[in-house]
Amino acid sequence: MSKSIEQMWKQGFVSEGELSAPKVNDLYNRKSQNIVDKLQNMFAVNIKAIAIGALIMLVAMSLIGIPWLGLYICLLLAPLIQIAKRELDKSYNLSKGQSSLEYLESFDAWLKQSISNYSKYYQFFYPLFYIGMVAQGLASQSGGKVMSLLLTKYPTDYVFLDIPGYIWVIITAFLLVVIKYSEALYRFDLYIIYGRQFKKLEELLADMRALKA
Amino acid sequence: MGSDFYQQSIMPYAGIIIKICRAYTNSQADFDDYYQEVCLQIWRSRDSFNAASKWSTWVYKVALNVCLTNLKQRKKGEQRFVSDALPDEVNDDVKAFSSEDINMLYNAIKHLSEIDRAVILLYLEEKSYGEIAEIIGANKNSIGVRITRIKGRLNKFIQAQELTHE
Repeated sequence: MSKSIEQMWKQGFVSEGELSAPKVNDLYNRKSQNIVDKLQNMFAVNIKAIAIGALIMLVAMSLIGIPWLGLYICLLLAPLIQIAKRELDKSYNLSKGQSSLEYLESFDAWLKQSISNYSKYYQFFYPLFYIGMVAQGLASQSGGKVMSLLLTKYPTDYVFLDIPGYIWVIITAFLLVVIKYSEALYRFDLYIIYGRQFKKLEELLADMRALKA
Repeated sequence: MGSDFYQQSIMPYAGIIIKICRAYTNSQADFDDYYQEVCLQIWRSRDSFNAASKWSTWVYKVALNVCLTNLKQRKKGEQRFVSDALPDEVNDDVKAFSSEDINMLYNAIKHLSEIDRAVILLYLEEKSYGEIAEIIGANKNSIGVRITRIKGRLNKFIQAQELTHE
């Protein structure tokens, strides 16, 4: 070895033209596309998971002797799958013939609109899901036994459909809580799954807006 | 990022950013990504810059942090174990420099561990041991010994390369 590494280094960069820097303009374009792709993939996977979950639920509940509840849950989930698919298709149709920032902003607007649409659906979904579970519980053999036991131990004049009035009060109180917090529950659920990606999207948008400014 | 900021605060250091990114990437696409990421990170973190140290030191720090973080994430993605062990093979398809020596030296540098790469790059850029220690967050007293060891490994590797070329 004739040269030391120090000499190699010094002499190797004599021509500064060697060190031509790439342009700082394309990274955000790719980052935008990456985050959009990632979210769209997650949404698509989620739709498939809900569909498969609904079918598994139907089969499993049929096997344990409560097919109606399985069917009921499937029917509740079917519109959700349809809404989700329709919403996702909208995101694929967003115009890409614009700047990265504009594209990302339109994606963000679509996302917020979608979340708002889902929220409306979930305001019905959670209470209906709760009602289904309660109805199944009360109609089941063990549910009937529990009600008989309660009526023996805590008798009351207010009985409807063999269910004591105080149980109706508890069921109704819980239903009101579910109705009140169904949207919050949906958003909590949403942020557990997508929270990190949403945060990344917000940061990316903030960065790009600052860069533009 | 304003073009003023780029021209005044990044362009004078573009050379070293390129040299650092080159040591941590094996493809032109990765190199471009790392370079851009470093520039953006410098711009993003400009408010955190502490005037007590030199701006150039800050640039080195950010550049190395970005490269090491990206490398870690990439390795995590590929589920590879990060260690000081030599890679089996450096698959380098990044645009080569015209100097044969520099390409050979880079090839050797890429066979070092991530931190050793940072140390030798800073040493070759004639940073003092104190500055190297500050940038990589190591003990100043260990830098000299570490550089000697790294240089030994580089020389050995370059000699082996030269022999295979003969």
